[in-house]
Amino acid sequence: MKTGPFFFFGMFFVLAFSWAGLVMGPQAQLGKLAPYYDDAEGKAFPERVPGIAAHGQLVYQDLGCAACHTQQVRRPDQGGDKARGWGERQSVARDYVHQSVPQLGVIRIGPDLADYGTRAAKNGLSEAALLADLYNGKNGMPAYRFLFERRKIIGEPSTKALQGGVPAGYALVPTARAEALAAYLLSLKQTYEFVEARPYEPAAEQKGVH
Amino acid sequence: MITVPPNHASAEADGIDASARCPLGLLTAFALLWLVVGGALALLSLLQLHSPGLLADCAWLTYGRLQAVQETVFIYGWAINAGLAAALWLLVRLGGDGLRGANYVILGGVFWNLALVLGLVGIAAGYTTSHPMLQIPRYVQPLMLVAYAAMAVPGVLAWTGRRTVQTYATQWYAVAALFLLPWFFSATQVMLTFLPMRGTLQMVVATWYAQNLISLWLAPVALASAYYLVPKITGRVLPGYDFAIYGFWALLAFGTWMGGRHLIGGPVPAWIATVGIVSSILVLFHHIILFVNLRGVFRPDGSTVLIFVAIGILAYLLSGMVDAIFATHVLAMVTQFTYFQQAQQQLTLGAFSMILFGVLYYMVPRLAGATWPSVALIRAHFLSVLIGFVLLVTSLGMAGWVQGRDLNNAAVTFATIASHTRPWLQLAVVAQALMLLGNLLLAVHCCWLLCARFAPAALSRTAAREVVVS
Repeated sequence: MKTGPFFFFGMFFVLAFSWAGLVMGPQAQLGKLAPYYDDAEGKAFPERVPGIAAHGQLVYQDLGCAACHTQQVRRPDQGGDKARGWGERQSVARDYVHQSVPQLGVIRIGPDLADYGTRAAKNGLSEAALLADLYNGKNGMPAYRFLFERRKIIGEPSTKALQGGVPAGYALVPTARAEALAAYLLSLKQTYEFVEARPYEPAAEQKGVH
Repeated sequence: MITVPPNHASAEADGIDASARCPLGLLTAFALLWLVVGGALALLSLLQLHSPGLLADCAWLTYGRLQAVQETVFIYGWAINAGLAAALWLLVRLGGDGLRGANYVILGGVFWNLALVLGLVGIAAGYTTSHPMLQIPRYVQPLMLVAYAAMAVPGVLAWTGRRTVQTYATQWYAVAALFLLPWFFSATQVMLTFLPMRGTLQMVVATWYAQNLISLWLAPVALASAYYLVPKITGRVLPGYDFAIYGFWALLAFGTWMGGRHLIGGPVPAWIATVGIVSSILVLFHHIILFVNLRGVFRPDGSTVLIFVAIGILAYLLSGMVDAIFATHVLAMVTQFTYFQQAQQQLTLGAFSMILFGVLYYMVPRLAGATWPSVALIRAHFLSVLIGFVLLVTSLGMAGWVQGRDLNNAAVTFATIASHTRPWLQLAVVAQALMLLGNLLLAVHCCWLLCARFAPAALSRTAAREVVVS
């Protein structure tokens, strides 16, 4: 090969082509995706989460929770996502429009968390129980003790304090980061039935439905 | 296995190597340091999977952060330092002149590694971007880009100032790597860090970046080295070399589209995954040509360097096939989101490392103007990394397969999945420990070589058992 300019132009073009296709293509498709306003409910979905939950997402990101947890539910016919109760429907791009850095994740050493808030509400998991799990660790998840601090009780003990674990006169209190993380996890909901998220029904399940 | 006739470089090549000694020696030293550090961190993070309590109270070393740190150390510490040293050396040698702009390499190398340290501290302190293979915090990304550009300058000079107009496959691959990384690194920085795209589009960009890093940087650098070493050491013409150019363009054209296969079933347009699957099959055209061209490497005739390269090429060909086969929908439904994908990544990265080890064994003595002091150490390094590599990929692959099948069966609890994968992950710990041991031996061996070369007292002691590795 002798033609230097052609060589460099070719390399530049090959990458520019994949950039245009793989990056700008989806951008054209989804870049302006807006929340869906539901007239019947009188509000837009997905709903914005409170500030403490948005802060909690930063805690989730900074601790690298995505090293074990995904936040993307696959279609009901793909894998066991629905059967495990991780979500009634597949996750769609619109679910993430309010998230600054979506934590989709690449590996499931722990369960998927895309719809964790719904699941927690259904199972009656309180914030206190979630915080206790974070403190103790659970099913191979490490304990996040550094998200909690031991405080000497002066006057009334904190209402958020965990039970036990410290000598009398002290309380084990979640830090602001722990509370934000818990608020974030409990805010994770993917329940609204967007048109594009209608579960794909495998032929077998459609029998008998008219 | 060792002591092949010295195949002595001409006096001219000695001059070229001497000009590259300082800058490339520096990059190699950084690379080896990071290789050992990264191995230790990878081992620690694997151990945490077994005992979650390990260092859990230390926020800086919690599993999520440690995982990101070790991945970053391996790619930006070991792979890029070592790969740049190899690519620059190859370009300078084939250019026919000495290395020009050595200060750029030294300056760039120092700042690259300084930025890396700052970035790693940042990740450990919680400033990660959380994008796979681009975890380095935003505040060091521009610095790394500039430092990289500085290090690549001598490569460009060696290309533009080459003595022959005709170019060789090694030069295409090496120049492609040097030229394309700033392109996609800067584009990704804009789209992910400074003007982030919205929602799940970030995952698309991150996947595009990660695939480019593999297909347009790691693979080209490794292949540039292989295209140089195989004919040089075997002394045979590459069969079917006329096709090499098509193999080169096939890698660039199809490789960069492959990343989408990881997004199958995800909240992104479905065509991205389809294009990724098709591309990972089309790119096999490149692998076929590579095999045709470099099949001579599988008759290494006792050359240690070629044995490393042969293992690397074999792993590279295998990784191409595994990527294509396991991109298909049926298999991806099992292996997606499991250790299996880590195994695939380790196979690709391991292929790169094996070839780079081959280059180091060839390049370092020529740069230093000395010979490797110990055959036993080379053998020990080879055996431990080879066994470690095979064990690691197999054990992670098996763990991932078991995990994937269990995950798809909703009746199996996470505690059961953990108990099913535990034996395989224990094997992975052994593998990682073996590789760490081997790489430690390599680092020690390099230090020994330098001592023997530059400390006269040590030289006289080792002179009696010098060996030439080719």
